[in-house]
Amino acid sequence: MLKIGLLLQRYAKQELRNSNAIFSLGLYLIGITYLIYLLGGSNASDNSWNTLLWVVVFFASIMQASRSFEFESGDYFYYYQSIAGPKETIVAKLIYNSLYMLFLSGIAWGLFSLFYGNEVYQPIVFAIGLGLGCIGFSIILTLANGIAERSGRNATLSTILALPLTLPILKLVSTINMYAMVGAPFDETATIIGSLVTLDIAIGLLAYILFPYLWQD
Amino acid sequence: MQQTVYKVIGVVLVLYSLIFGLLTSIPDLPIIEESIRNLFYHVSMWFAMVAMMAGSFAYSIVFLRRENLHADRRTAALTETGMLFAFLGLFTGMIWARFTWGAWWTNDPKLNGSAITILIYLAFFILRNGIEDQRKKARISAVYNIFAFVMMIVFIGILPRMTDSLHPGNGGNPGFNSYDLDNRLRLIFYPAVIGWILIGTWIASLRYRIKNLSIT
Repeated sequence: MLKIGLLLQRYAKQELRNSNAIFSLGLYLIGITYLIYLLGGSNASDNSWNTLLWVVVFFASIMQASRSFEFESGDYFYYYQSIAGPKETIVAKLIYNSLYMLFLSGIAWGLFSLFYGNEVYQPIVFAIGLGLGCIGFSIILTLANGIAERSGRNATLSTILALPLTLPILKLVSTINMYAMVGAPFDETATIIGSLVTLDIAIGLLAYILFPYLWQD
Repeated sequence: MQQTVYKVIGVVLVLYSLIFGLLTSIPDLPIIEESIRNLFYHVSMWFAMVAMMAGSFAYSIVFLRRENLHADRRTAALTETGMLFAFLGLFTGMIWARFTWGAWWTNDPKLNGSAITILIYLAFFILRNGIEDQRKKARISAVYNIFAFVMMIVFIGILPRMTDSLHPGNGGNPGFNSYDLDNRLRLIFYPAVIGWILIGTWIASLRYRIKNLSIT
């Protein structure tokens, strides 16, 4: 537990030292939201609003996760091996990436509300959907990134690997968020939220079990 | 002896389903009518594909536990055979859809599931092709394969049940669910599934042996 906390601190410090990364993500979010606004996104129907928000969040998470292991490449890999085992590494990475994504998707939702007005009828359900989706994305993208990193290939590979795997989650969360926007009865939403929670836990466990096989030389 | 028996059974069952699938009498249903016979040729492809992918999933677990490269070659052979069945299932389904729904492709959860499955496993081959070191390749692709199989089952097995589909038996469409998959259809459909799985196993074992020979 202590090691995970220390690793999280270290990742946060690295992020702050390389502040151009977080600023470029923020600029991406503002730029893309404003681009949609210019192209007439303010007249978007509920359905398009939801789709656009998910496309923006999805690409933000791909960009964010593509840098998951940039400090563990080359000789640094052996350095991190010597200070923390694979289990601590993956737990810390998953927590860190999930929190980061929650932050980014919150900003995206805020920007969308600012430019196009908040169309959401049940904000709590919407936030739950957004949060669960971000956690699922982070798990899949982190593992895919680890695979791409260990295979010594460029960032394109991790996108190719992760894109089809994230689609089940994308499909579920966009349904939840659509329900939250039109204000569907909660028992209908609850079954989908339940299945998404189960899916997130299942892939989280799977990533935890599989990562040690990846993180060795 | 055992090696021959399952191949003979496979060939017999597939020939039986091909011939008697055209000859058998069928329930008289609106819209799908005679095209219900595609149940024997199209649906059995997907069953065979899932069986092949389940086999490759099992061999990936075996590889991670024992670090045996033979298991990795079996994984690759089974996945290649599974892809063959996936494309056959896709083409038979598209031809059927053209005549029953009037379009080659529709936005249907089962179609999306099969498209995603194909993308997932194409990515698997791209991943394998890029790594030189045999052990590293085997380990990394085993990790991806296990993860991919679970997501595929979620996508083709669970999600379509949560939304309506155009497929027969879903969303009030006439089909072959519990009350009208009658015994005449079952008598051909189940042998077809078993036969194609056995044929798939045979193809995969041949691919595996070719891989063993070309390794040295």
